[in-house]
Amino acid sequence: MSEMTAGAKAGVERVWTGGCACGGVRYEITAQPGPISFCHCGQCRRQHSHVGAYTTFPRDALRRVKEDTLAWYASSDRARRGFCSRCGSGLFWEGEGNPNVDVTAGSLDEPTGLCADRHIWIDFKEDYYDLPDDGLLRRASTDPDNHSKVES
Amino acid sequence: MTAPLPGGCLCGGVRFLVTERPMGVVNCHCGQCRRFHGHVGAYITVPRETVFFDADATLAWYRSSAKAERGFCARCGSSLFWKGDGNPLVDVAAGSLDQPTGLATLRHIHVAGKADYYAIEDGLERFPADAPEPP
Ligand SMILES: [Zn+2]
Ligand SMILES: [Zn+2]
Ligand SMILES: [Zn+2]
Repeated sequence: MSEMTAGAKAGVERVWTGGCACGGVRYEITAQPGPISFCHCGQCRRQHSHVGAYTTFPRDALRRVKEDTLAWYASSDRARRGFCSRCGSGLFWEGEGNPNVDVTAGSLDEPTGLCADRHIWIDFKEDYYDLPDDGLLRRASTDPDNHSKVES
Repeated sequence: MTAPLPGGCLCGGVRFLVTERPMGVVNCHCGQCRRFHGHVGAYITVPRETVFFDADATLAWYRSSAKAERGFCARCGSSLFWKGDGNPLVDVAAGSLDQPTGLATLRHIHVAGKADYYAIEDGLERFPADAPEPP
């Protein structure tokens, strides 16, 4: 086991919390959330109205403590996006049959202690911004690992 | 460039046209934008009377502070507008604009409120809170 892996395992002791701007939706994450990926796809751009930022982890590690105002939108035949119907905060992405769930990085309570590792769907980026020179992986729709990483 | 800027939400329930072109896009790192957008906010600022709605059946407003409201689509959750009380301007989220926009990003504001999971590394000007008014 590498030192980095050992660090990630030790982090499992922590519970991450988060929610929407109005407090109508609150959640807890009981597994180590995966590194943040920045998504430049057209759907994230419309729904978040800029770049999407998500952490990915097993679905059973997500506990929705409060979900009075949670609404879902079927953004495709095979996926749905969860948001707060009262304050409009973007929160979840769930793919049909996918054992993992994506949670927006911005909905996590600070400090998150998480790092980003990649940009995905970069071939769908809008023209009004440039990809930062941040040293992160860059993946396009044609790349096999054009998706966020889950901690193993 | 003088072309107007069409835009809307993910589901099409909100569609609009911005007839005045802004100077560019400003990224906001405040905690409210972060929750609303799920990450950084990116906005153009234009006079309210230059935003014309073709569809607004699903547009909802949330009072995000004592002095401002945020507009979003109640059907698909797209995060669209910021409107300060008594402010003749409105902020329109850049990602809601149809491509190509022909716009560029100008600066970062409220960087003191940035989250820990990302860095700002594009070399653009940064302001801890609001940017000073343009001359
Ligand atoms: Zn809410
Ligand atoms: Zn995406
Ligand atoms: Zn919509």
